[in-house]
Amino acid sequence: MEAASVPSSAGLRRTRRRGDRVGDNLLHALTALAALIGVLIVFAIIWRVADGAWPAIKVFKLHFLVDGVWNAPLNKFGARDLIIGTVVTSFGAMLLAAPLSIAIGLFLSELAPPAIRGPVGTLVELLAAVPSVVVGLWGIFVLAPFDAQHVQPFLGRTLGWIPIFAHGQDKVESTVFTAIVVLTIMTIPITSSICRELFLGVPNELEEGAIALGATRWEMVKTVIVPSVRGGVVAAVILGLGRALGEAIAVTQVIGNFIPLKPSIFEPGDTGASRLANQYQGAISNIQVASLIYLAFILLVITFITNLAAQRVVKRFEFHRTGGD
Amino acid sequence: MTRGLALIAAAAVALTAIAAAGAKSNDTTISGAGSSFVAPLVSTWTPAIGSAFGYTVQYSPVGSGAGIAAITNRQVDFGASDAPLSPDQANACKSCVQIPWALSATSVAYNVPGAPVHLNLDGKTISKIFLGQISNWNDPAIAALNKGANLPDLKITPVFRSDGSGTSYNFTDYLSAVNAEWKSKIGVSTQPAFPAGVGAKGSGGVAGVVSRTSGAVTYVDVAYALKNHIKFAAVRNAAGKFLFPSLRRITAAAEAFPKVPANNEMHIVNPPKSAALAYPISTFTYVIVPQQTSHAAELRKLIFWALTQGQKPQYASKLMFAPLTKSALVASEKTLKSIHT
Repeated sequence: MEAASVPSSAGLRRTRRRGDRVGDNLLHALTALAALIGVLIVFAIIWRVADGAWPAIKVFKLHFLVDGVWNAPLNKFGARDLIIGTVVTSFGAMLLAAPLSIAIGLFLSELAPPAIRGPVGTLVELLAAVPSVVVGLWGIFVLAPFDAQHVQPFLGRTLGWIPIFAHGQDKVESTVFTAIVVLTIMTIPITSSICRELFLGVPNELEEGAIALGATRWEMVKTVIVPSVRGGVVAAVILGLGRALGEAIAVTQVIGNFIPLKPSIFEPGDTGASRLANQYQGAISNIQVASLIYLAFILLVITFITNLAAQRVVKRFEFHRTGGD
Repeated sequence: MTRGLALIAAAAVALTAIAAAGAKSNDTTISGAGSSFVAPLVSTWTPAIGSAFGYTVQYSPVGSGAGIAAITNRQVDFGASDAPLSPDQANACKSCVQIPWALSATSVAYNVPGAPVHLNLDGKTISKIFLGQISNWNDPAIAALNKGANLPDLKITPVFRSDGSGTSYNFTDYLSAVNAEWKSKIGVSTQPAFPAGVGAKGSGGVAGVVSRTSGAVTYVDVAYALKNHIKFAAVRNAAGKFLFPSLRRITAAAEAFPKVPANNEMHIVNPPKSAALAYPISTFTYVIVPQQTSHAAELRKLIFWALTQGQKPQYASKLMFAPLTKSALVASEKTLKSIHT
């Protein structure tokens, strides 16, 4: 209506107005719908999972979190060791993957000769395309024997005085440690390629400025590149952690599927996602199904908590950055 | 709830079925899924059933648990399981019937360098090994069963199935029958909570771990052990004889239990002394079908063929499946008649 009073050519105005209105409305409606669907799906998942878990929540209440017995024929279910297994494997993988990914990202964005950036970057990203069951098979046939023969005995000899690295006489192939290494390999492509993009996004002027001020390569990386994208790097690591928390198939193939958990990571263990993958199809009782969904609910909560924590970290870094400018 | 979860499993099965249906649209396609134990037998039947009735049988060996899920969701025409339906599974499946259609046994396989080819074990010892109470191959309990044999000083690693498995059911059924402690602590299940050892997914996963772990012991169906040249033990039965599984000994075990309950759930482990030649870890395996199904006529023909022609040595013997016993056959045929459209 208002537009009519604006002095302009009548013909142009009509076509513009129509196009603008339809396009604007359509864009608005589509994006709002997409956002709404996203929100609805999240709530639908939470509702469905909580609803399915309800029979087990009623029976086991919060004891489920501290009880370590998972015995299907006796209808006793407790998720403690599965939660610990999930946290240990995924955070362990994050500890190994984060420095490696950042190093790969830096190398590919700043240090590598241009001729090899492309091929190496593509190869690292190809790792992400390998299906997890294939990574798991490789874990069984290559990684697990190698770990059992060489890596685990070595770590046991050098760090064995710490209980989690205690290593006995036997060379066990299916271990928590092997699962951590498999998860590390699976998270590196995601995290490293995001890191690379972040580092590439740092304005050249900043880098050149640092060099001009007499900074070495290392000082430039340390004082300019990494600090300016710290929040993004944390977010990239958390994305990798999300994959590690939920990975089921590759883990179940190498971890040994055994609880109660033992103190050493060179022994078999199990995770929540792995137990779900193993037992959901053949669940023998309704309470077992509910307990498995309860377990899924806990995994969901763990993921939410890590994501929220990550957002806070990102915000803090952002604050420091703008505050420091 | 089982439905929601099982849907995903069933979807994969359905996809293969659809693909098969697309390929040969003129034929009747009967799809099935479940037990990997019975899969080699079903695949020897498939061509014969094709030439007898013109049916294409599409069987996916996804494991007993997944097979039950698939038939519960009616994504396949029949499911197959080595373990009988649990009460909750039977409820969820809504008037499904289970029909014993094959008979075989579980072997106790091991990888012990230097151990005798004819290793003798009994139920008490096997159960204590899997409880973690006997943990070395030179344990006096094992030595007493293998006089004169040279047993190494080597840790025992029990290896078990981590996924829902009918073989686990058969094995824990046996251990519960021979050891009260096993029965009260662990029980009988497709997914028992093993108190010691390492778990692996599927028969192949278990066999892989065993082949690479010296000192490992596991349980696996006889056909799989034979086909993959895995050494297995002679197991002492109630009559005191150490026996390897064989067709006659499996039959002897089944014949010791002539009574078939109304739901066809059979337990033929650890038969009494009178069955002197019975192998003690034998099992029936079941085909599971809805009582009311649009493919009733085809399923009746197909399963009747499996119960009769399919038991013949030309299909079953090499795979270590013994012919069904008379009483089981009578019960199966009776149940089969109740299937209708």
